[in-house]
Amino acid sequence: MNEIVRKDAVRPAFDIKDYLRLDLMPHFMCPGCGHGIALRALLWATHELGIEKNQLAVVSGIGCSGRVGAYIDANTYHTTHGRPLAFATGLKLARPDLKVIVITGDGDCLAIGGNHLIHACRRNLDITCLMLNNEVYGMTGGQVSPTTSVNRLTTTTPAGNCEPTFDACKLAEAAGASFVGREVTRQAPALKNLIRAAMEHDGFSFVEVMSDCTEIYGRKNDLGESPEMILSQKADMRPEAFGNVADQPFRPNRLVTGVLAKQERPEYGRTYRARAALERAKKGR
Amino acid sequence: MTKTLTPVAGNHACALAAIAAGCRFFAGYPITPSSEIAEFMSRELPRVDGVFIQMEDEIASIAAIIGASLGGSKTMTATSGPGFSLMQENLGYAAMTETPCVIINVMRGGPSTGMPTRPAQGDIMQARWGSHGDHPIIVVAPASVQEIHSETIRAFNLAEEFRTPVVVLYDEIVAHLMEMVELPAAGTIKQVDRKWADAAQANYLPYAETPDLVPPMSRPGDGHRVHVTGLTHTPDGFPTQKPDLADRALMRILDKIEKNRGKIEKIEAIETDDADILIVAIGIVARAARSAVASLRSEGIKVGLLRPVTLWPFPEAAVRAAANNARVVLVPEMNTGQLNREVERLVDAPAKVAGLHRVDGEPIAPGEIAARIREMIAQ
Amino acid sequence: MNAPATMPATTAQIQAAPTRNIMIVGVGGQGVIMISKVMALLGQKQGLQVKQSEVHGMAKRGGIVFSHVRFGKEVWSPTIAKGDADALIALEWAEGLRWLDHLKPGSGAFIADTRRIVPPFACRNRKTGATMNYASETPAEIVSRVADGYALDATSIAESFGDSRAANTVLLGVLSTTLDYPIEDWLGVIEQLVPKKAREINVKAFEAGRAWAEAAQADPSLRFDHAIAREKTYAKPQDFEVRLEINAAWCKSCDICVKLCPERCLALNEEQIAYLKAPEACTGCHICEWLCPDFAISVNTVSREPASA
Repeated sequence: MNEIVRKDAVRPAFDIKDYLRLDLMPHFMCPGCGHGIALRALLWATHELGIEKNQLAVVSGIGCSGRVGAYIDANTYHTTHGRPLAFATGLKLARPDLKVIVITGDGDCLAIGGNHLIHACRRNLDITCLMLNNEVYGMTGGQVSPTTSVNRLTTTTPAGNCEPTFDACKLAEAAGASFVGREVTRQAPALKNLIRAAMEHDGFSFVEVMSDCTEIYGRKNDLGESPEMILSQKADMRPEAFGNVADQPFRPNRLVTGVLAKQERPEYGRTYRARAALERAKKGR
Repeated sequence: MTKTLTPVAGNHACALAAIAAGCRFFAGYPITPSSEIAEFMSRELPRVDGVFIQMEDEIASIAAIIGASLGGSKTMTATSGPGFSLMQENLGYAAMTETPCVIINVMRGGPSTGMPTRPAQGDIMQARWGSHGDHPIIVVAPASVQEIHSETIRAFNLAEEFRTPVVVLYDEIVAHLMEMVELPAAGTIKQVDRKWADAAQANYLPYAETPDLVPPMSRPGDGHRVHVTGLTHTPDGFPTQKPDLADRALMRILDKIEKNRGKIEKIEAIETDDADILIVAIGIVARAARSAVASLRSEGIKVGLLRPVTLWPFPEAAVRAAANNARVVLVPEMNTGQLNREVERLVDAPAKVAGLHRVDGEPIAPGEIAARIREMIAQ
Repeated sequence: MNAPATMPATTAQIQAAPTRNIMIVGVGGQGVIMISKVMALLGQKQGLQVKQSEVHGMAKRGGIVFSHVRFGKEVWSPTIAKGDADALIALEWAEGLRWLDHLKPGSGAFIADTRRIVPPFACRNRKTGATMNYASETPAEIVSRVADGYALDATSIAESFGDSRAANTVLLGVLSTTLDYPIEDWLGVIEQLVPKKAREINVKAFEAGRAWAEAAQADPSLRFDHAIAREKTYAKPQDFEVRLEINAAWCKSCDICVKLCPERCLALNEEQIAYLKAPEACTGCHICEWLCPDFAISVNTVSREPASA
């Protein structure tokens, strides 16, 4: 009998350890934090696409989401709060050969970085933006964020949040993002496939990952332990096919998952370079 | 050999110099009185295979140039007071992550929106201390269009050599002043490139404590796969909070500038050797002071002018030497005394330092300076 | 034997017509109701009383659907008792077997599509290679057991005309050969009930069903699909074993793997670190690996392959 170790008969071999900075592990995230699941999905998609680690650039901002990138064995940039998309814009324009991924959070991307998000969507530079939405500012101790559900308790909404909640995907779509999708961490293979599709998309792609803050947000709102929180994700979401059932005006509590928008638009970097080449040719004549 | 002189405006000279220095990426946001730089760059950069982008604000602009510089490009942005204020956090990020970049700040009247079309020198201290925390920075302050050209080139070279952000600080008058400028031929311009890490080097440390205090940089794709963070980090690039390591990390980047003052400092001294009365001034005010020196010297008054061309690090030794030999020191400036206090700090008797300040959006005229000096002598 | 369609049924014919009991079974979405409507209309065309009763509680695709159609001179009960069905039409193989006892012994016709729609609960055991609970009887066995059996791959026949949904009409074609009604009436009713754009396909499907049945009546060896043999399992037997590695140093005791394992084969030990409590129950489904936020679990399948000579 000859034993052959294989990861799986159907899927190609993916070992997350090939993509991690092992000397930094275990990572610093809390027990049950959904960000780890999202990170695995990203690396899994990266593996499936066969992207070289040396050519992968991960730009992140500040907060729990901002720390996720550091564990990836790639070119990683931990930038300032809210600005990763702006840093990534410069990096991608200067280095179109790199695969640029932005990892951001709900506060980083929608509050302090909201302006950069809408303009990144509009420009359509080939960047994939993963917004890890855990509905709270976890790193600073659990303050209300733009995506905190109504009535939820946070350290700055002691009587319950009474601000309306952002639907980040609607925002991205309205701002012109050519690929918009959302998935929950519980559906890890679907999340991987969505991230993969986003990375394959030529242009700006926005993926909202519904993640769980178990230690702070979950505890404060009595949402159960990590398993209960991840189990409840299914009830809070509905697949795209039932999307039109959404009945609440701003952000329905039940969000829709899947690819929510996809359109082919000229990628900004190439468009700019093509126009520049035309200018040079004119001048040369 | 005769010099070829070309009429060029200050902001135009800045853009030309940037491209001559190797700048291939510019991100900016329109603001008076610096917008012409962005306009020139938007036209010129595509012609040299560079990239221009107008970002959504100044925060994004400096973020984009840092991002592009991390990718390996020589980069620049240009702004004025309000935009410079917005850039401060990311300016600190560039200093902390040792990412070369050049920031042009064309000073206008402040605070707040102030007087957008009027000159001022109110950002002297902000250029040094605007970002939070002790951070290294180099600031150059050209006083003429010719010098905007040469100092912008030098700014790029300093940024590359010392892996640090460099601010070029000049005022609205020089920005919009057209002068006859000698533009050096393309091949004669000295271009410094940052030290690049050897792609084959194993155990590369992105923030190694090299003898010259400036570690070689790695380009993404070279294979080192480094981590860049604004958190206090150890030589391997990863965050630390250990007191000894944190101290070493910050002190190295501060020493990188401090111990290389000789390569960074630059002054212009006019008749300071025997000066009884010393004028310390920068930018457009220094031009007026120069004229005042000439007229006062013709009256037999021993006046000299010391002009820091590199404003930060402040040329402490030169100012101290010249000021301590003088009887009185006059610091004319278009603010309420920013340079003045820096000079007071350096002289043995602060009482002999006097200021001449204007914050009304009008430049200080040579006659004002001369009159003030005559007054001081009379006292 | 067929009367012309234009000729209305005479009173004598009606008097002579025996009560017909037709059962149609399948799963949601296959067209059970469509067949029962055809039969009901057909009965009415013959001037007979018709009773139709159906159960389609699980109306979504995949749920059980059955329909009883009775027609004759006078029909009272809407349902067909066990052993009373003249014909049992099964759009799904296992559903047909479920209702076999309703067929009239000695004469009932069993007309079934051999295509299987395996319900999720037929594979409760997720272990690869596990025995499936789906009916294991082969078409040959069933056809030999009933008086008048027809087991055909109606779905494939319908697919050959461009729409697998016409499989029910193929079965109607088979049924038409066992009942004495004018062929024009069958086609008229079908054309009346199917959408205009699907008429051509359905007529072809009906005729193909008839042709298949006539051939099968002439040669009994053609009455069932020989290709489908006994199949106890739906996947290859497990030729590998699952190895689940848990990196205790990375585990943060969040309990997600324990609670989300479908087989409940993981647990936390005294140090609150995940461990494989029931290795024999592990199916290698990877869910624990995918959902571990700390990358502490790695699922590997180790295959055993004979060494090459």
